[in-house]
Amino acid sequence: MTSLIDRRAPGPKKSLSFRTFLALAAGKSAAHATRLAGRGGGTSITGMVARRLDPRVLERLVRDQGVPVVAITGSNGKTTTARFTAALLRGEGVTVSHNSAGANLIQGITSLAVSYADLRGDLPDGVLVVEVDEGALPKVAPELAPRALLVTDLFRDQLDRFGEIYAVADAIESVAAGLPPESALIVNGDDPMVAMLARSRRGRRITFGLEIERSTDRITRAADTIRCPKCRSDLEYRFVYLSHMGDYSCPSCGFQRPRLDVAVTELEVVGLDRTRMEIQTSSGKLEIEIPQSGVHIAYDAAAAIAILVGLGVSLEHAAESLGAVGPAFGRLETIDADGRALLLAFAKNPTSYNTTLRALATEEEPRQLLIAASNTLVDGEDFGWLWDVDFETMAPKVERAVVSGTRADELANRLKYAGVPAERLTIVEDRRAALDAALADLPADCRLVVLTGYTPLIELRNEMMRRGWTGRYWAV
Amino acid sequence: MTELDAAADTTAAAAVAPGTAAAAVAPAPAPLGEHAPIRIAHLYPSLLNVAGDGGNLIAISRRAEWRGIAVEVEAVEKGQTPDFRRFDIVLFHGGQDVEMAVVAEDFQKQAPSLREAVAEGTIVFAVCAGLQLLGHRYISSAGEVMQGAGILDLETRGGPQRFMQHAACEVTIHGETQMVVGFENHSGLTELGPGCEPFGRMVAGAGNNGLNGLEGARSGNVFATYLHGPCLPKNPWLADQLIRIALSRAEGVAPSLVDLAPLDDELERRAHDVALAKAMANRGRRTALEPARLVRGLKK
Repeated sequence: MTSLIDRRAPGPKKSLSFRTFLALAAGKSAAHATRLAGRGGGTSITGMVARRLDPRVLERLVRDQGVPVVAITGSNGKTTTARFTAALLRGEGVTVSHNSAGANLIQGITSLAVSYADLRGDLPDGVLVVEVDEGALPKVAPELAPRALLVTDLFRDQLDRFGEIYAVADAIESVAAGLPPESALIVNGDDPMVAMLARSRRGRRITFGLEIERSTDRITRAADTIRCPKCRSDLEYRFVYLSHMGDYSCPSCGFQRPRLDVAVTELEVVGLDRTRMEIQTSSGKLEIEIPQSGVHIAYDAAAAIAILVGLGVSLEHAAESLGAVGPAFGRLETIDADGRALLLAFAKNPTSYNTTLRALATEEEPRQLLIAASNTLVDGEDFGWLWDVDFETMAPKVERAVVSGTRADELANRLKYAGVPAERLTIVEDRRAALDAALADLPADCRLVVLTGYTPLIELRNEMMRRGWTGRYWAV
Repeated sequence: MTELDAAADTTAAAAVAPGTAAAAVAPAPAPLGEHAPIRIAHLYPSLLNVAGDGGNLIAISRRAEWRGIAVEVEAVEKGQTPDFRRFDIVLFHGGQDVEMAVVAEDFQKQAPSLREAVAEGTIVFAVCAGLQLLGHRYISSAGEVMQGAGILDLETRGGPQRFMQHAACEVTIHGETQMVVGFENHSGLTELGPGCEPFGRMVAGAGNNGLNGLEGARSGNVFATYLHGPCLPKNPWLADQLIRIALSRAEGVAPSLVDLAPLDDELERRAHDVALAKAMANRGRRTALEPARLVRGLKK
């Protein structure tokens, strides 16, 4: 198999237009200015400024120069999968640039390209691994012309942003169908809707999933898309692995899980900090242990390996590379807060909430809780899905919860109805004050579980960094 | 069983074959100061499960239980045809197009029994797809027709845009008027016939069709709205009205005379007021955002 990671510009290299140069220069200085002003890393301002000056700056830097791109989209697991992919590629000696900050909308991706490019418009050698918001994909994909496109899964995530999950699936399907045949489409075969959208694909296609003889989850209220995406009958599951993902078939039209090219054949989740698995590919079996916990970690690892298979890159150092990837930003990350232990967990939809709550339950957590939800554009406006989260199981354990964020009201009410007595709930909207309040009465032998959506996570994380807490990991 | 785990203990007894539950049709007279259990049917919980509407069931259940009133919840899934007369409240929630089509077909078999129950005063609380399927029909923008139950005199057509925003309306029940808030997310355009009245009058948001300022539909004890949110947890007054009506049927008194213990609703009021403020900030906008624009990734 030939490798898809060589740079191949469609024609002789053209020099940069003045307009693109201007966009590059202005974008880079905007980032610099924001950082100087102490307003974060300037992750989207760069792209915003650059696109204002040259709306085609991203395609000029990436597509027109033949930069090999891996695009990762879907509802969950984009960040972890991108990190796994980057680690695997680096392990095989490939240079990688990627958007690790989770800035996955068009401005953030443009920022990535602008900040990596030099002033002649050249990006570093090697592969650009890009996490793309599933709603932004139709606009972003043509500008990137990815060599590999991965769809992780499709969950009901922020209905108010997309209207309906089916519209998102249709949009991704047209992007996938429009890829050149030699590019690789990589899909999660265990997710019926994702498997369905890959059916119209003509060209290279790789499927991944789990192939273990037991269920690791059950269908809950939060699950969706368990109707057959083809004929709408109820799907039958031989095994359920995670939410609606599993080994399924449709009793009425025969639609079923496709054959898997990359399959997790053994899986063991060890406590809150490790996952062991065996992954089967056409070229052999890989034994992998990752210092992160959960069934979703196995999916992300299989996805990243499937990307390398799709790109035609070897997997000689896979175990070593993945074995070194610790939790991403806020994914069950343990932090030393001046001698007190803090467990930071990111949850953005019913599925990620339920996954996190289940993991915490194995340790009889959370007892002391700081929980936050905010409605910004990134987090969504409608928080109705909070009522689909299984807080009921968590409620009896909670001794005290500080509720924060701009939607603390909705969240506190939800927790009350889940069974946390109102007198155990304290609303402190301000994130910094909430952190102080939660730590103030923390019993000495107890750790504080911080469970939060995207925007409060960043705010809390920044505050922790300011206090010098992050970067020092506890051995759990 | 997809029902709430927390409600499972009271649910188990009710989730048996229809014949054995017949004993519950005639509740024993409630001792002084106590109330008979409230029997709730939750329609298609595994199909109609978007936008947290299940929170409506949680709200009614908890608010009853906090007052010492037992709640029996029965999930009614596809293929089941219970006698709806044995329920006090029927919850019929929203769903996406695919699930709604599955429900529409199955609901034809349930409609006659539900119609009889409604005639005897059973309460129905319906949201979005539930509202649409209680009407005569839903005609999609492609011209496909889904038959409804005809329990409410209304008809819905698929519209070109989606109303997605916080909304507020004034609702009057038994002479008492309150502001009800929620989140609307629908593209159907509903027109009411003379046989039903609106559920509320819009104060902020689009309502049934973005034109006439009407929200939802009401006919007797049948309440239908487009408000997700979910609606009942942040509108405790409305949740309590449904509980009152349910108890009044068993106790043979007017709903306003039902002795319902007051609860501490501070958190509920706060959630209500935040949602109201958000709705008022959008006031005057008939539509929010078009999904096509969002799907293209423009998040302005």
